[in-house]
Amino acid sequence: MGDISYLLPLLFVGVGAVVLMLLSYTKSLSISSIAKIALGFLVLAFISNVYYFGELHKVYPYENVFFGMIVSDTYSVYFNSILLVGAIATILIGWDYFRPDRRFTGEFFSLLLFSTFGMMLLVQSAELLSAFIALEIASLSLYVMIGFQTDNIRRVEASYRYLVLGSLSGVLFLFGTALIYASTKTTFLGNIGVELLPQTGKDISLAIGGATLILITFLFKISAFPFQNWTIDVYDGSPLPVSAYMASTFKVAVFAFMLRFVAMDLGYIKDYWDGLLMGVIILTLAYGTFLALAQNNLKRMLASSSIVHTGYLLIAFVSIDIIGESASSSIIYYLIAYFLSAMGAFGLISYISSSDKLRLTYEDFKGFSHVRPYMSAMLSIFMLSLAGLPGTIGFIGKFYIFSGAIEAGYTVLATSAILATFISIYYYFKLIALMYFYPSPILSNVPPLKGLPPIFIGFIAIAVLWGGIGNTFIAFFPSIDFLIDVAKLSHRSLFLQ
Amino acid sequence: MEIGILSVIIFLPMIVSFTLLILPFGVYVTKVVSFSISLVVLFLALSIYSDFQPIGTMQFREFFPWIKSYGIHYSLGIDGFSLTILMLIAIIIPCAYLMLWDGDEPKSYWASMLLIQSGICGTLFSLDLILFYFFWEAMLLPVFMIIGLFGSGNRIYSTLKVTVYTMFGSLFMFVCILYLGVSYYYEFGVWSFELSDIVNITSIRDGYRVFLFVGFMLAFAIKIPLFPFHTWLLETYSNAPTGGVFIFSSIMAKLGVYGILRFVLPIFPDIFVLSAPYFVGIGVFGLIYFGIAAIMQYNIKKMFAYSSASHLGFIVAGVFSLNMYGMSGSVFLIVAHAMATGGLFLLVGVMERNMGIKAISALGGIAKKAPFFTVYFAIMMFCIVGLPSTNGFVSELLIILGIFKFNYIVGIVSTLTVLVAASFMLWMFQRAILQDSDNDVSKMVDLGKKEILALFPLSVLIFVMGIYPDWFLAKIEPTIQHYLFDILKVGM
Repeated sequence: MGDISYLLPLLFVGVGAVVLMLLSYTKSLSISSIAKIALGFLVLAFISNVYYFGELHKVYPYENVFFGMIVSDTYSVYFNSILLVGAIATILIGWDYFRPDRRFTGEFFSLLLFSTFGMMLLVQSAELLSAFIALEIASLSLYVMIGFQTDNIRRVEASYRYLVLGSLSGVLFLFGTALIYASTKTTFLGNIGVELLPQTGKDISLAIGGATLILITFLFKISAFPFQNWTIDVYDGSPLPVSAYMASTFKVAVFAFMLRFVAMDLGYIKDYWDGLLMGVIILTLAYGTFLALAQNNLKRMLASSSIVHTGYLLIAFVSIDIIGESASSSIIYYLIAYFLSAMGAFGLISYISSSDKLRLTYEDFKGFSHVRPYMSAMLSIFMLSLAGLPGTIGFIGKFYIFSGAIEAGYTVLATSAILATFISIYYYFKLIALMYFYPSPILSNVPPLKGLPPIFIGFIAIAVLWGGIGNTFIAFFPSIDFLIDVAKLSHRSLFLQ
Repeated sequence: MEIGILSVIIFLPMIVSFTLLILPFGVYVTKVVSFSISLVVLFLALSIYSDFQPIGTMQFREFFPWIKSYGIHYSLGIDGFSLTILMLIAIIIPCAYLMLWDGDEPKSYWASMLLIQSGICGTLFSLDLILFYFFWEAMLLPVFMIIGLFGSGNRIYSTLKVTVYTMFGSLFMFVCILYLGVSYYYEFGVWSFELSDIVNITSIRDGYRVFLFVGFMLAFAIKIPLFPFHTWLLETYSNAPTGGVFIFSSIMAKLGVYGILRFVLPIFPDIFVLSAPYFVGIGVFGLIYFGIAAIMQYNIKKMFAYSSASHLGFIVAGVFSLNMYGMSGSVFLIVAHAMATGGLFLLVGVMERNMGIKAISALGGIAKKAPFFTVYFAIMMFCIVGLPSTNGFVSELLIILGIFKFNYIVGIVSTLTVLVAASFMLWMFQRAILQDSDNDVSKMVDLGKKEILALFPLSVLIFVMGIYPDWFLAKIEPTIQHYLFDILKVGM
């Protein structure tokens, strides 16, 4: 098949985005048929992507055209699968939410595909400038998606807030790239690391500054302390499916790029960051926990708790130069664990709120299990997984992160993460307690359990459970071991020549 | 792949429970199915009991890889300790089901009970630390449900409190487990969380080992509960439904002691020996403290809660007395106490159902209204206070002998406490049950056929174990000898 086969996923999504943009001019197509077309492109991309899943390779497709700016390796295939599933899930979950009377039009799906395209490009870029372009494609599409319902002032505010702050962080990225280029005369991942080796005898202080600016962009995008202020308002102000999309996919893409950058190039610079990152982690955990405890709205609670999960992920990130493979594979595993749980939780909430405009506070869920037992069960599964209780994929994810931290000697971080987990039990279990332990339901007009979204969310719930207990007993079914092996292969593929 | 008998005992109740929840059966069918499942488990446990060889090693092993890349195994096995507790659970759970039969709880109550049974058995058989933690935490969820859904009073608050409290302990234990696994990896180059591997670790510095020891002990001390980690106890016991109290007092508390014996003792034998005086002290202090607290209570359920905690302190003191008498006495008391306290809480549950009150002063004169109730209440009570010819007597005597061997002053103190506590309990019995009073107890109904049948085996066992203790001690003695000689190396 040649080089084209490695670019097919990217092409399908990119072409799909353009096609949808053109189609949205014709008013004859209904929004659901446009959604179907979008879904078709995403599924095609997913299939062509899954073809290389778990196969150890690293290819620079069309090197004479792209000069090695775009790479396809086991690592990118793994993350592209997550991103594509995320985009597909967003459409399926929002199936009843995206309606014309809510001012959703065909362009929305075009933007969704553009954003996915940007994220996939980010995962696949092997050069800082193309990474910047990819990041901006993804971000700009997201800004518009957030503010798409222009009749709602909260949407517009969230969009504007994210736009201003996000652009600032993008500028920092660009400036960081310039500084790195000034110091090393290259922007290609892999080459930067070679130039920074102590043997070259260069003054690398500019590069350190540049890399730190890029780190700040990274910390901003994953909403780590002290750059977390936008998170709650933006998540809360966005339409729920878009919050779900942001929470589950964007973080994955940004982490994927940063992991690649640090693993390949910044081994020496990372030492300068250790103290800084440890402070960032502890404050992220503490502040995120504090925020989550203070929330009364479920969407805001999930947004705040996503900050705590960022803290967990950063723990593995900080130990990456000490234990390499197991740290990055634990990040890769945790990302998929968080992706599934958050997607499920946000998705279910957005389904519940799809018929009427609810604030979705904790109080609204009093006695919910008596009206919708299966939905309550699913929501409980997602909460348990986010809390990291055994039997869910969240537990295995935390197991890797914490054991990696101890392995790398960061027992203090592991202990503070355990404390954060302990407190998180409260705000996750509170929802379960409210759903089950109160007699009279208050939520009215909850959509019944039928149609596409609940089935899909049910699958996610099963995946969450399977990820926590699954093993090789049942043949032909991916087990925990399989995912870990793929995660390790992905890490290894970074260093192939 | 062959499914072993231990796996069947763990997963049969769980599968049945989920099936019952999904299928639209009524409460009656659920009760019948739950009860028959508990009988099946009893039958399986009896077959294990008869095949069990009285030697010190693990038997009925099941060993499959679970997460290979981290050396986590699905590893099951039992020895004398776990066998004793398994038999206990297998016998008292069907009895408890019969006692709870006439309550008006819906089927999710019964499904939760089955799930708890699964979790308990899984905890009991696991020999892999991660698997153990898995069941240890998984067990919490149905307990959470059962108190929150069917409790009384400020149930939601007490549910969250007990969950958060126990989670606090177990999460620190989780870090300690991970630390042990990582240390094993650094020392031997492969990952393993298997208990028989973990005990070989030598590379951890002594200071860290004390931290790890404390981490494990914290989790177990909260579950038992040992002084001063008992503050969840009172609310949970008074707000939980009868079944929940029964599970807490007679089984889950014992699992804390079991955890100490199974994991803390082999992994940290030297620290175990060194810290023994402190824990004997804490245990005996708990015995006295909770004993006094029990006397002060006006509410019969709260009184039993404290008296239960008092005995658990005594059990822990016996475990840490580092000799044959104390340890076998503790294992024996685990069984005796589970039967007696379990029985008492179930009886109090019956009383509550009939009369709706729990204050001791409002009772009195029940003996005439309910003779069967009184007889059973008396038997359980005698067992608790350790009257001769009950198994309570045998076990308390053994523990006292063990503590005397450890330190005779502590021995004298604990003997006196047991005697005084016994007299107070009997006084309460006289006031609440026997004595005539002006209180209106007309609503009290005597036990029905099912309940009489339910408590009969327990009562018989209390006497049989009290009169012929050697039959039962023979099964556990080799295990205790193995622990004392081979692991702790303290001799007799």
